[in-house]
Amino acid sequence: MNESGKGLYEKVKKKIEASQEEGTLEKQFGDFWKFACVIKTRQHDLRYLYDDTSREFVDKNRDNLIEMREDFVNNMDTYVEKCINIMRKKNFTVHYAKTNEQAQKIFMEELGDSRIIYKSKSNEAKDIGIIDVLKKNGITIKETDLGDVLVQLFDYKLPSFQIGPGAHFTEEEIAKKIKDVYGVELEPKAQAIVNHFRSTYRKELLNNVKISLTSANAISAEDGTIVLGENEGNISLITRATDKHIVVCGITKIVPNILDAVLVTQLQSRINNVSFNYISLISGPSNTSDIQGTSVQGMYGANEVVVILVDDWRTKAANENLIYADFLKCIGCKSCIYPCTASRAFGNIYASKYGLGATAIIRDYIHNGIEAAVNDGLFLCTGCENCYHWCPVSINCGEILKNMKKEASEKGLAPPNLEQYKEKIFKDKNPFL
Amino acid sequence: MIYLGCLSSTRYQETCKNAIKVIKFLDPSYTVLDDVPCCGALSYHIGSDIELKDHVEYVNNWFELNNISEIVTICAGCYNYLTEYYAQFLGLNFKVKVTHFLQFLAEPENLSKLDLKHSGKKLKVSYHDACHLRNAVVPIIEEPRRILNSIENLELKEMENIKTNSICCGAGGGVYSIFKENSDYNSKLIFDQLNRGKILLTACPFCFTALRRIREENQIKKPVIKFEDFIVNIMEGVDPLSE
Repeated sequence: MNESGKGLYEKVKKKIEASQEEGTLEKQFGDFWKFACVIKTRQHDLRYLYDDTSREFVDKNRDNLIEMREDFVNNMDTYVEKCINIMRKKNFTVHYAKTNEQAQKIFMEELGDSRIIYKSKSNEAKDIGIIDVLKKNGITIKETDLGDVLVQLFDYKLPSFQIGPGAHFTEEEIAKKIKDVYGVELEPKAQAIVNHFRSTYRKELLNNVKISLTSANAISAEDGTIVLGENEGNISLITRATDKHIVVCGITKIVPNILDAVLVTQLQSRINNVSFNYISLISGPSNTSDIQGTSVQGMYGANEVVVILVDDWRTKAANENLIYADFLKCIGCKSCIYPCTASRAFGNIYASKYGLGATAIIRDYIHNGIEAAVNDGLFLCTGCENCYHWCPVSINCGEILKNMKKEASEKGLAPPNLEQYKEKIFKDKNPFL
Repeated sequence: MIYLGCLSSTRYQETCKNAIKVIKFLDPSYTVLDDVPCCGALSYHIGSDIELKDHVEYVNNWFELNNISEIVTICAGCYNYLTEYYAQFLGLNFKVKVTHFLQFLAEPENLSKLDLKHSGKKLKVSYHDACHLRNAVVPIIEEPRRILNSIENLELKEMENIKTNSICCGAGGGVYSIFKENSDYNSKLIFDQLNRGKILLTACPFCFTALRRIREENQIKKPVIKFEDFIVNIMEGVDPLSE
């Protein structure tokens, strides 16, 4: 083990210690997360290890989904081209970015003089580095998903749950924070907090949004329809009551047709029990043909819908069969996090800036290399493969992580005890002597 | 040959004796050899491909030198590694037939020869599926259930998370040696699911290690018993709960 290996090991150890200590942010999150992973009542929306009804839903669709995703990965170029062509015909402004840097540049150009952007929760935007570039350029980012609004309100910097990023804050904490920041006295109850944002923020979302950013749950290659699922209504507002709606996502969000796209979106809702009360199908900017049959763009909805499709690591992973090539099949449902042994035990220590769990660590590895992954707790994975058994498209994150551990070991980044095992196995032929 | 695995043969000699007793009772042609090399499973994600291949070849040569054609192993980790990765590294050069203790026991003729009965109050047990067994190329999921269901006067009380859904004890992948906090939480969760089962059974020495520690630390009354020990208890008419 080399110096940076030692340093990383100490860092992870420290984080774990913090997670055991009363009063730390890590402990607070960990306690909440354990509860969220095993809770089994309907009162609590973020729940449970594995719920049987969603499992049945996954099992029923798994074979089709795997076939669909494998077909996509094998014919990525064709699908992307088909998708872009049809989207252009439908008056979307479409950009294809080879790299994240290109995507960021295009994004800033599309943003023009605007210094403010309203966004929905978008893990893809994080993956593509849009958030970082917005921050760097001093653009005001207005979160609209309540979870993210809270994260912003608390200036919370630790990794959090992708689906409910603010779910670990208590009602009392939120009420106190709102009093401190806005001077508004609220009853510390979820309903009162929601009412507060509804009465203050909703107006702003209906009237002030000029440019909005979302990702996509899926995009249909056949007709270029973007599918977006949500339960709050924030996406509906900011994709309609805006001048320009910018969609940023990886090309792996593309699926063959609209039925597949809805299925993928529905699956995300079912597995995570987030109940998508609204599913938007966006097939182009707002338009009307009510005057003499002339098509005019920009009626009440978005004037312009810009789509930035990003390749970055994706084609390379497929062509070179990189260790994370299997990850291309991912539909982003995030359900692998609940059954994960390490995630349950370590909460936001087994995580990266992209969120909790193995997929977030894989993303960090892709963008920031093996040291970042070790720092995210790569060696906390037991390889139990619960993620694989649960995954609706059968991605074996356990296997990907195993290969990442191998790379880490080769670079001297494996924890000291493991190094000792290795020596004992190869030399003494028994690691436990 | 009976392949005990390095963890069991170093730390759980009583279990090894029991396993040998059962296997030899069923088929006396199985032998136990000294200085058996470790299969290398624990080095998988920390060794380079060349190192791993070297070790696997070394073990395979050892098998050939000792004329080993069949193995029964009592270690879940060995079973998983030998069946999946030896074939991957050695291809057709790996000629040894690998069976796990549970598969061996679940053979109908072995079950009828054992003819297991528990006397006294009906015994309620739960079985914890080890990742190494349920995730193997040939998964071992139904075998332990077949064995337990064949025992007279015994009732298998399934836990909530079983089979491919089972909770990992937190000891896999060498994590136990570095970050025990994983098993602190997850092994406890397994005990919490015991509900109506009076005994927790496991067929994996790594799970056993983690579960035993958690049981002691949390002063849990219900025992965790290694499968081999449990079978010998039943064979010899010893009440497993009295231990």
